[in-house]
Parts: sequence; structure tokens; C-alpha cells
Amino acid sequence: MNSLVTEIVVPRYGLAWYPWAVQYFFLIALSYCTLWLSAPGLLGAKNWRNTTKVALFACVSTTLVAPVALLADLHQPLRFWHFYAHPTPWSWMSIGAFLLPVYVGTVVALGYLCWRPAMLAQRDASGLQGLVARLVCLGSWNTPRLLIPLLTLAALVLSTGIILYTGAEIAVVKGRPLWNTPWLPVMFLTTGMLGATGLVLVLNRISGVCSASTNRRMLSLMAFSGLACGLVALTWYLDGSNQVSGSVSEALASVRDNPTWRNMAFWGLFAGAFLTLSAWFMSTHTRLLPFGWLAGLLALHVAWMFRWAVLMDVQTVARNTAGSNDYTIAFGSSGWLGVIGIFGLWLAALLLIELFVPWRGEASKNTSAATQEGAVHHG
Amino acid sequence: MDLIRRSLLGQLAKLTAGAALIPFASLAKAGINDQPVRREGDPTKRYGMLIDLRRCIGCQACTVSCHIENAAPLGNFRTIVSQFEVEDAESGDCATFMLPRLCNHCENPPCVPVCPVQATFQRQDGIVVVDSDRCVGCAYCVNACPYDARFINETTQTADKCTFCAHRLEANLLPACVESCVGGARIIGDMRDPHSQISQMIAEYRDQLMVLQPEKNTFPQVFYLGMDEQFTRRPQATVGIWDVRDQNGKEIGYEFSGD
Repeated sequence: MNSLVTEIVVPRYGLAWYPWAVQYFFLIALSYCTLWLSAPGLLGAKNWRNTTKVALFACVSTTLVAPVALLADLHQPLRFWHFYAHPTPWSWMSIGAFLLPVYVGTVVALGYLCWRPAMLAQRDASGLQGLVARLVCLGSWNTPRLLIPLLTLAALVLSTGIILYTGAEIAVVKGRPLWNTPWLPVMFLTTGMLGATGLVLVLNRISGVCSASTNRRMLSLMAFSGLACGLVALTWYLDGSNQVSGSVSEALASVRDNPTWRNMAFWGLFAGAFLTLSAWFMSTHTRLLPFGWLAGLLALHVAWMFRWAVLMDVQTVARNTAGSNDYTIAFGSSGWLGVIGIFGLWLAALLLIELFVPWRGEASKNTSAATQEGAVHHG
Repeated sequence: MDLIRRSLLGQLAKLTAGAALIPFASLAKAGINDQPVRREGDPTKRYGMLIDLRRCIGCQACTVSCHIENAAPLGNFRTIVSQFEVEDAESGDCATFMLPRLCNHCENPPCVPVCPVQATFQRQDGIVVVDSDRCVGCAYCVNACPYDARFINETTQTADKCTFCAHRLEANLLPACVESCVGGARIIGDMRDPHSQISQMIAEYRDQLMVLQPEKNTFPQVFYLGMDEQFTRRPQATVGIWDVRDQNGKEIGYEFSGD
């Protein structure tokens, strides 16, 4: 029997996760992906040294800020200790709560050990920089060389845990078909790598390191990640349209007739394809390499927007009513303030590291003034 | 070993130091995202609800009494009656369909295993509750529930939901929604007791009962009698009158937006 149904009275359902969640998933993905990008150099690959410098800078800054965003997404942030008072090994979120501090600690320790030799050299500098260097170095002992590759390996192992838990946490939610797919964790990783290569390109430019080999390498990796994203998205779509996965077909059905989602899908497709092609094109043309940061900015946009679409837009897909749950970003801490605040905090972290840590290493061994001058020349 | 002795040894083990290890044993058994062991509540009971839609007139007395009993913030509902106008495409005949919604106290509740601090748990009598003193407000459960039965209470900043009025059941009172139902459409009871009204009605109408979103394998324990199958899923409907939009399609007002 065909019938026309009109909703007369239905409840309004709000969004439960705020933009803080987007910030966390964005920063943590950049964190583990930049860790992977810095790993070859940390494990001894000499031709990777410049890339490692920039990637480690990106990695430590994002790793420091990501947990703040996560904490802020709790409605009761001061109760965070409940995670540790009531361990719950069957909940992905609880597993993450135990994994995250260990991961953050390992990455910070890794950054500390990598940057300590340069900090030692800066101890004699005057002013606040010298004072901080003297305090942070904790004596004049030599940094044990073996510790860096060991910590790198430990961080890599922990990062796979982070990749797994952040993905699985969302993918197990059967109540939201758009999340409930094993392809989601993979897509988090591939789009994360897209964003991470973009971040390294941008930082490579604005920090004045301006390494051409880093640009080329990141652009090739970006093209590869873009291709991987496309393959994952295509497989997900085919799984749904061929009824391989009930969850994906349900997901497609839930947004099929929605113009906003259609536009978003087209924009994602266009931006992803454009990015992949331009990254590949730039990586093969030496003259274009210095403009890699432009592709980098677009890649960061794509990686962030993907998370916004997955975490925020999916929540607006109504489950028990027709239409969609309206969402306008609030100005307060549950909206824009969270987004801008976290980006501000990240910028502050980058600037503090830049100010007190000679992270460029060997190149800046002379004085900080020389580094600044060098930056201007290269820029 | 004969049965009696084996069970005796089993009992003894529970009485001795083994009892202290039982939580750990069950902890090791639960895989990731599996249902944890139920706690608290009467293990001899299993509460469920049967809603006789033929008797529901959509008066929202349940919605109001639940609000008063449980002090939910304005705009959030532990229970509400969704109402739809259904028009037959051929004949043009109209009817109103009423669908009371509340927590389904599922046999396989997806909201429980996701909770990272075990603040939300299922009691042995099947009722799913939230310990608001422990809840960290991560809202994972709110997203995990396919029925939108949960919300973040903006006053307590913790997860909130229908508890079958467990506090009233313990005082031998009916839940507020059942008590106030004008048509007697809501029947709550112990489904383990074969003489309870709900058990008898389940036995009588077994073939006609439906639950919401059965394909999610959550095994809801709120059963609907007189249900139209299309409403067990997300309804294919025109959006309701609460969506008040201006010419640009922007929402201009909402019943509960005023403080």
C-alpha cells in the first residue's frame, strides 16, 4: 500500500559530539602520520634528514595539542580521571584513554632526545632562550644515541594502536551506518597522510628550511595518498551499490536524496582528484617544487573537511525522523571557539617550540640570528 | 564426578577467594565491544514493555508525566509520542499514526559496551541505567544508540535516558508514563513471570508484535502491538511542522529554543 506520510510531532535530536572531536581526529591523524614521515630519518636514513626535521616539528606540536581537544569534547572534562579509575577493556574509547598518554609521552620524549643536542649548544645563549635550554637539558650528559631509534620504534608501534583505536571507535557504531564500515579507519589513515604531507610542505616553506628534496618527496607521497583515498572511497561506494555491505547501502540510502551531501561528495571528489593530479604534476617538475605548500594547504583542507563531514555532518543525518537534524555552529565553546581555540593553541605550540628549541639542528648551530637571516634568504 | 558434587564445588569456589576473582574472569571473557556482565537489579526478573498502539491516542500525557517525574531539561525527552499523518495515495484517506518512543532496554544494548567508564550498564533485570556520578559526558552512548533514546542532559552534563522509572518500580509503583497513560496502552512487567500481564499478552499476540529496527540486532524489549511495519525504520516522510523556515530555507524558530 502506497501512503504519504507527514511528520506532525517528532522530537528534535541535537548533536552529541562537538567540533572539538573534529579537531582531535584531525590533529591526532597529523600526529601519527608525521611520526611515520619522520621515522626513516630517525632510524638512520641520511637523505631523509631534512624531512625528518620538519616532520618531527609537526609531530610534536600536533601530539601536544590533540589531547587537549579530546579532553574538551567531554561534557565533564574534570572527570577525565574516571577513565583510569574504571578501566574498561571492552570499550575502544577506554583503550584509547590508556594508549594516548603513553603515545604522547613517547613522542615528547623522542622530540626531547632529538632536539637535546641542539639545546645543549644553546645553553650559553643569553636571555630566556639560554635559561630555558639550561633548565630543559637537565645537565650536560650526552644523549644516548641508541635511544632515538628505540623510542622511534616504540612510538611507531604505539601509533598503530592510535590509528586502530581512533578508527575502530567510530567504525563500531552500528547506529550510524555512515560510520559502521571497516573502510573508515583506513580512510582516516589515508586522508591523515594526505594532510600530514601537506603540513610538512607548509612548514617546510614557512620555517625557511625549504628543502627541495622534502618538497619532492612529500608531493609524491601526497599523490600516492590521494590515490589511496580514491581507491578506498571507490571500494566503499561499490560495497554499498553492489549490496556487499548492508551498512554501506544503508548509509548511501540515508543521504542519497540530500543535495548538501551530494554537493559535499562532488567537492570531495573534485578536490581530491585535483590535489592528487597537481601533487603528481608538481613532484615531476622541479620548477614547481617551491609551490608545493599551496598543494599542502589544500591537502590540510581536505583532511580537515573529511573529518568534519564524518564527525559533524554524519550526526545531522536523522535516524528516527525524516529530514535532517539542523546544526548551526555555535559561537561558544561548543562551536567556533573550540575550533579557533585549538588552532590557536596549536599555533602557540609551534611558536613556543620555534622560540625555545633550535629544532633545525645542525643548520642553526651558530646563533639564532643566523637562522633567522637564513630563513629570509631561503624564503 | 557426579553432578551434585560438581555443583557443590562450584558453590564453594564462589564462596571462597574465587569470588574475588570472578569480576576479573568475566573481564577477560569480554572481547572488545562485547556486552559486559550485568550488575545490580533483581536477577530473577526481566522487565519489558508492550505498547498497544491501538489504544494510544497521542495525548502526550506520558511525555509530560515523564518530564515531571524525571526532570528532563526542556526539549529533551526520555519518552515522547511521535505523530504522523498517513494519507493513502490512492483513496486519499487520512489517518494519524502514533508512535511512543523510549529506551528499548535492548537485550543487546549497543550503548553499554561503548561506555569507557562503565557508567552506563545493564542491570540483571534488563534495565539499562546511567550512573550520572561516574559519567564523563563523552556522549559515545548517545551516538551508539540507534533509537536516539539518549541525550546529554545540559543541567547535569551527563548522559540521560529512560530507566523504566526504576526508582518507582523498586517502590512497587508503575513508571510515570504507564501510570498516566489514558488509554492503558503501555504495559510494563516482568517477562520472566508467566502470569504477568505482559507475559500473557506476549504469548497471545506473539505473531503481531514488532520492535524498532530489528535488523540492528539489538533485540529491543519494548514491543509494539498494532504497528505499521514502515514505522519500524526511519520513516519516509515529509518533515514536520516544527521546521519553520524562512524564504532562504533557514530555520527561523523552534518550539524549545526559548529559555
